[in-house]
Amino acid sequence: MAAFAATAGGLLRLRAAGSEGQWRRLRGAGLLRGLLQPESATGVAAQRRHVAHFTFQPDPEPREYGQTQKMNLFQAITSALDNSLAKDPTAVIFGEDVAFGGVFRCTVGLRDKYGKDRVFNTPLCEQGIVGFGIGIAVTGATAIAEIQFADYIFPAFDQIVNEAAKYRYRSGDLFNCGSLTIRAPWGCVGHGALYHSQSPEAFFAHCPGIKVVVPRSPFQAKGLLLSCIEDKNPCIFFEPKILYRAAVEQVPVEPYNVPLSQAEVIQEGSDVTLVAWGTQVHVIREVAAMAQEKLGVSCEVIDLRTILPWDVDTVCKV
Amino acid sequence: MMQTVRRMELKADQLYKQKIIRGFCHLCDGQEACCVGLEAGINPTDHLITAYRAHGFTFTRGLSVREILAELTGRRGGCAKGKGGSMHMYAKNFYGGNGIVGAQVPLGAGIALACKYNGKDEVCLTLYGDGAANQGQIFEAYNMAALWKLPCIFICENNRYGMGTSVERAAASTDYYKRGDFIPGLRVDGMDILCVREATRFAAAHCRSGKGPILMELQTYRYHGHSMSDPGVSYRTREEIQEVRSKSDPIMLLKDRMVNSNLASVEELKEIDVEVRKEIEDAAQFATADPEPPLEELGYHIYSSDPPFEVRGANQWIKFKSIS
Repeated sequence: MAAFAATAGGLLRLRAAGSEGQWRRLRGAGLLRGLLQPESATGVAAQRRHVAHFTFQPDPEPREYGQTQKMNLFQAITSALDNSLAKDPTAVIFGEDVAFGGVFRCTVGLRDKYGKDRVFNTPLCEQGIVGFGIGIAVTGATAIAEIQFADYIFPAFDQIVNEAAKYRYRSGDLFNCGSLTIRAPWGCVGHGALYHSQSPEAFFAHCPGIKVVVPRSPFQAKGLLLSCIEDKNPCIFFEPKILYRAAVEQVPVEPYNVPLSQAEVIQEGSDVTLVAWGTQVHVIREVAAMAQEKLGVSCEVIDLRTILPWDVDTVCKV
Repeated sequence: MMQTVRRMELKADQLYKQKIIRGFCHLCDGQEACCVGLEAGINPTDHLITAYRAHGFTFTRGLSVREILAELTGRRGGCAKGKGGSMHMYAKNFYGGNGIVGAQVPLGAGIALACKYNGKDEVCLTLYGDGAANQGQIFEAYNMAALWKLPCIFICENNRYGMGTSVERAAASTDYYKRGDFIPGLRVDGMDILCVREATRFAAAHCRSGKGPILMELQTYRYHGHSMSDPGVSYRTREEIQEVRSKSDPIMLLKDRMVNSNLASVEELKEIDVEVRKEIEDAAQFATADPEPPLEELGYHIYSSDPPFEVRGANQWIKFKSIS
């Protein structure tokens, strides 16, 4: 029976197959305890359970943006939204349950600070939320819509793909909904099952007219979200929900931007390129370290950051 | 029956807190009169579909507590073989157990079409909640059902809160029974089982006579929070929950009525209680002791296909066989 490791970094149960020796060696190395084992290496299925996970490695403290504060992912998002609402008087945040702070606490305190006409709840209607957001954006105001889980974005798929993405094109640049940003918690978390774990970026990745962004850490998230909000195209911002609390970093308090459509080379290498985004970046980093140690392979790790339009040059560069 | 549902839900609560049930768990204690009353008003050959607060309906539609609790704990003995869990339970003429809010309503309209087409005088009960009532696809289903006179009973289980949002804050009109516009609607006291049963009988007769769809709003209440991760007190007061428990608890209301009309004595009802407790205990034992489904079954039933094919797992070296 094959063992299986964490994918987008969820807490998955791991059933170890026979090879205990390999287990002990890896544990000693202090690396990812999940094991990628080719099927041929399996022995008798010992029904032992292990929880495999990745370890979030914070990036070094950024010095060029002023004072920083220790924040986790949802706090970084709150900070970005706070900065946006402060800078842009037309900005509004809406979605299901955002008023009290949101089911992941991304909007805590914003309603008290900016008022109930700028941070408000919508009824349970994703298609309505996005359509409504497109309308706000078309008038020129900044609309930040929240879809409660990326799994629920599908009722809004038509609005995003047929309405938002094509607005500028079909009106010959007379109108646009560029000031729309849609945020959604994304990715597997271990106990989410069918409808709280999906990663739907691929569905949107082939739709010209929108931008799709997935951050890997609090620092990246705040910068990328601010860039999405300020970008003059409708953007979908997926936030890896497993990192909301697990990822903690020093994040600048003042607003700053991380550019869109630019991938980041996290680790240089010469033999093979590993491209990842969101939670998987952290798994891949550990894989690269393992590959170097076990196989002597030098891996280049690239965080794609923006899925659409993606940075072909950085990935293909020799 | 209501007592069984109540005890089963409380047991599920207990098992969840002991981490024997994982994942999601949406309990319906407080809403027992709805599932039991509805079942009493229809035939076993009728059809029912609801959303995720489905344990009560799974029981009333014919599955045993054992199977339900085993499904919750993810074991082989469960009704979906342990792969479905709390939100995905199915039985004969019971179509689930659906996760996405509001998505089951057009399905229900479709089932009603099949009922009409088969000509066997069956109806379909399509349930949704007060939160789902604001979804667009529900109105699409209303229109289709009314246009084609489908034998569909739309039932809005209004427990006053859509997760944490009270109905006044989510709906421009909280008269959910009127939302059908061109579909006639009934407002029913969902805590009184006899009321629910009679209303269901009336609605079923309406549909069976070919008059088309009808809407029912069951005004009910849930004691637990939205799911096990919701304490249920941040958006409503404990006093409110207590008040409903003491004044309109469905089991209490029926008990009082039966005792006062001399239909049953307090001792007889106590006996039922004891039996129910025992049944639930046995079921919980089974659910805890049953083995989990084997890992090979993870990939089964993705497609219906003659030759089994292989499905990639979490990485490309892990393959699950998919048979159907």
